[in-house]
Amino acid sequence: MPGIETLLIGTLSLYTAGIAAAFLLPKEKTPVLPALFGGTGSLLLLFTGIKSFLPPETFHAALWTVPGIGTLTVSIDTLSAFFLVVTAIAAIPASVFAATRLKQTRWQHPEVAAALYLGLLISLTIVIIASHVFLFLIAWESMSIIIYLLISSDNNERPGYLMLSIGEAGTLAITAAFLLLSANTGSLSFAIIKTGAASLGPGVQWAVFLLVFFGFSVKGGLIPLNFWMPGAYTAAPAAFIPLIAGATLNMALYGIIRVTGSLLPIPHAGPGIIMLIVGSATALIGILYATIEDDFKTLLAHSSIENAGIIIAALGAGSVFLAKGHLAAASIAFAAALYHLLNHSVFKTLLFMGAGAVEDKTGTRSLDRMGGLLKHMPWTGLFVLIGALSIAAMPPFNGFVSEWLTLQALLRSVELSSPGIKLAFVAAGVGLTLTAGLAVTCFVRAFAMGFLGMSRSDSASAAKETGKPALLSMAGLAVFCLALGILPTYVIPALNKTIRPLTGASATTALVPGFFRPQGKLPEAFVNDFHKLGAQIGKNSMPGRGLAVLHRGGTKNPVVFAMSTFYMFITLIILLGLTAGLVRLFAGRRRKIRQPRWDGGVRKLLPEMTYTATGFAHPVRVIFESILRPKVVERKDTIAEHFRVTIRQKRNEIHLIDRMVLNPLDSAAHRIARTLAKMHNGRINTYAGYALLALIVFLAIASII
Amino acid sequence: MSRWVIKGIRTGIVTTRYPEKKEETPGTSPGLPEQVTGIAPENRETESRCPTGALSREKNRLNLRQERCIHCFRCSRGTENPIPWKNGFEWAEIRNPEAVVPASLRHSLHIRVVDAGDCGACLNEIKLLNNPYYNMHRLGFFITPTPRQADILLVAGPVAEHMKTPLLKAYEAMPAPKRVMAVGACALNGGVFGPGFVTGSGVADILPVDIEIPGCPPPPLAILHGLCLIAGQLKNEPNAATGTRKGEK
Repeated sequence: MPGIETLLIGTLSLYTAGIAAAFLLPKEKTPVLPALFGGTGSLLLLFTGIKSFLPPETFHAALWTVPGIGTLTVSIDTLSAFFLVVTAIAAIPASVFAATRLKQTRWQHPEVAAALYLGLLISLTIVIIASHVFLFLIAWESMSIIIYLLISSDNNERPGYLMLSIGEAGTLAITAAFLLLSANTGSLSFAIIKTGAASLGPGVQWAVFLLVFFGFSVKGGLIPLNFWMPGAYTAAPAAFIPLIAGATLNMALYGIIRVTGSLLPIPHAGPGIIMLIVGSATALIGILYATIEDDFKTLLAHSSIENAGIIIAALGAGSVFLAKGHLAAASIAFAAALYHLLNHSVFKTLLFMGAGAVEDKTGTRSLDRMGGLLKHMPWTGLFVLIGALSIAAMPPFNGFVSEWLTLQALLRSVELSSPGIKLAFVAAGVGLTLTAGLAVTCFVRAFAMGFLGMSRSDSASAAKETGKPALLSMAGLAVFCLALGILPTYVIPALNKTIRPLTGASATTALVPGFFRPQGKLPEAFVNDFHKLGAQIGKNSMPGRGLAVLHRGGTKNPVVFAMSTFYMFITLIILLGLTAGLVRLFAGRRRKIRQPRWDGGVRKLLPEMTYTATGFAHPVRVIFESILRPKVVERKDTIAEHFRVTIRQKRNEIHLIDRMVLNPLDSAAHRIARTLAKMHNGRINTYAGYALLALIVFLAIASII
Repeated sequence: MSRWVIKGIRTGIVTTRYPEKKEETPGTSPGLPEQVTGIAPENRETESRCPTGALSREKNRLNLRQERCIHCFRCSRGTENPIPWKNGFEWAEIRNPEAVVPASLRHSLHIRVVDAGDCGACLNEIKLLNNPYYNMHRLGFFITPTPRQADILLVAGPVAEHMKTPLLKAYEAMPAPKRVMAVGACALNGGVFGPGFVTGSGVADILPVDIEIPGCPPPPLAILHGLCLIAGQLKNEPNAATGTRKGEK
């Protein structure tokens, strides 16, 4: 296997070659470029990431020296390696999918779109591997601009502008934070900042944390800065949204982990508590709006907000544990956060592909106008179902493992002594549990209203299965969903390589006891206890560790929590087979009667009579009315003032964040502008007066100084 | 706030003990006319006062076809020759000798009610079965919203034209063993409505009726009696009010 440097150069040159090819080749051939160059480049990227995980390899390279700024360097540590792997896992299928979509939709300039897509991949890679503030900010900024261009390529300008403007505010905060760091450490290089950051005063640490958290949470979609996200994700073309949602959201989390975990580990619990509370509130608000959303893509965007919240909450819990010296608990929380990040990339990419395929074939994104798609698009339906089950945290799929670990990590707050912190953990735990419950509602609704029942529009009933390459890319991610779900004991040791430098403790020893290998490290009595339960199944045939995730406590309480999704999966299959066998055995002899479904006795069941997505979400709307605050406008059409013909009800729901953050900001800006506009009355004597006034003030100041 | 608890305890149990004990509270049933013998052949006033033809003459005997009676009291009030009325409510009659459900269902019978164009009176009485006084749950009778879980299809109304399809669909949707119970004069023979251009002449035209409950409307106890009969909780013993009716139809 070639070295990291070769692989990395290969990756980046493939991407660059793709961009060059986009402008050199004729227009008809450009749609395949993302698949060809992006796919193979991302494959190399995956190898780069995996190779960087392997022990002896560390990568550090100086690129070139810029006068006045210093030597630009790139390096791959285990944190970067993890994010390279996650990005590659999302980018390989996303590239194939992007190619299929670029081919189908009529683009005016497919070569520009393809080039931008590959440019996004390059900037993502550089954001992850940059170890110099200047390089990082350049890559970060180019990533933001490329995303803006990709989102606006469908002529939806407002969501793009909103994203860009709030994104610039975030970048400004990040820049300020980095400048603060480098001013205090005297260097722009990550390595020197890291060694110098420990001696910073608490005021600077807090300032850096708040600026970084604000700056990155803009991209990550945390409250109160996520108002751009639903609109932008909905406006983004279906070709690119899988990558944008699956990979670029991670960059915000990468930035937060890079600064608060690696560069400047803050030795007190405050920032962790902020992350915990903001994260759980974000998750709850995100999933609440996802549950009532009608537009499939907007629903997924709200759900991205939710998942970012869960990850940030787990990270916050980890930081608190770390600051309080509970290293094992911190490792578990970080493992949960990184695991969920990986899972979210996989299933969100998958679901956005499904949404894109459905939108392509039905021409609508409205769940109310779908229904019955499983008949027409069985494979898409299957993969969306797997994605929905994963994101709703249903075992044996991957979302379950990470959400379970997150909640278990929050429950470890019993180890903490401060009642205030415990209270914060309880609040966050309650919020996340409610989130998990609503997530099930949300994705049962999304799948059932989209794919089951009767088709509620002509376009839905005329839908056809999507193309094979798109299906293949979805199938790959669906396999990942299952594999990450049933083999957590193999994933956690891999994540551990990233977690160990952050916490200084091992998540593997905290979570995955070596039942099979390494032998003899566990206490004899402990092993015997678990062998009675069947933990030794496959001792001789299994290649690696046991298949149970298990957190060991003290002697009084040997096991704090334990779970095995693999055994759960096997049991599930056995039970299903057993049930099917029993039914066949006993019901086979019985008389079977097939009757049409009971429809309430109507002469013909019309699609209009069946449940819609809006109707399904109505109970949630009613329960959370105090948060949603709908404005109901009722219009009655009458004849001769007395006989009502129709009653129309329209609910206007303004998003909580829009209501509480964006709209006040907007009106404040307008008010300031209106006030300032009074200065400009158009009379020349007034402007002459202003000049005179300015001169007097200037002279006065000059004479005083 | 919680005065209803005290009130409830003070009130005690009001639920009727029927069918374990005889129910004789006045007002639970309007009653039916009795069959009368010894009426002079020339006096046809009483029977002519009956608007639904429930009374018919056979020499000097006045026969009652109780499934037609609408309890209008025209034969007992405001006439020179009033005929006596008899209290009681055990009017239900099993049409099909094998109608009694299997013993396994005796104490758990699920009922799907279909309003096949009734005026609301029968439905009102059916609704009363769930109130604290009659409380049919104590006997194991339950109203179910879907025919898929129903053992008994309880039909009220003369089967209006538009309710024919739903009624048939509901019957087809029921799992075996299934029984049909026709409640009220309309469901038995069209009652005061039918047969007409929009109403039929009863459930029996389109479905095999297993048990009939006359009355317009039948009081809750009459329906309860019918349910007990078809559930096998009561034996089908002809009583004074119904005994003479056998073999008339």
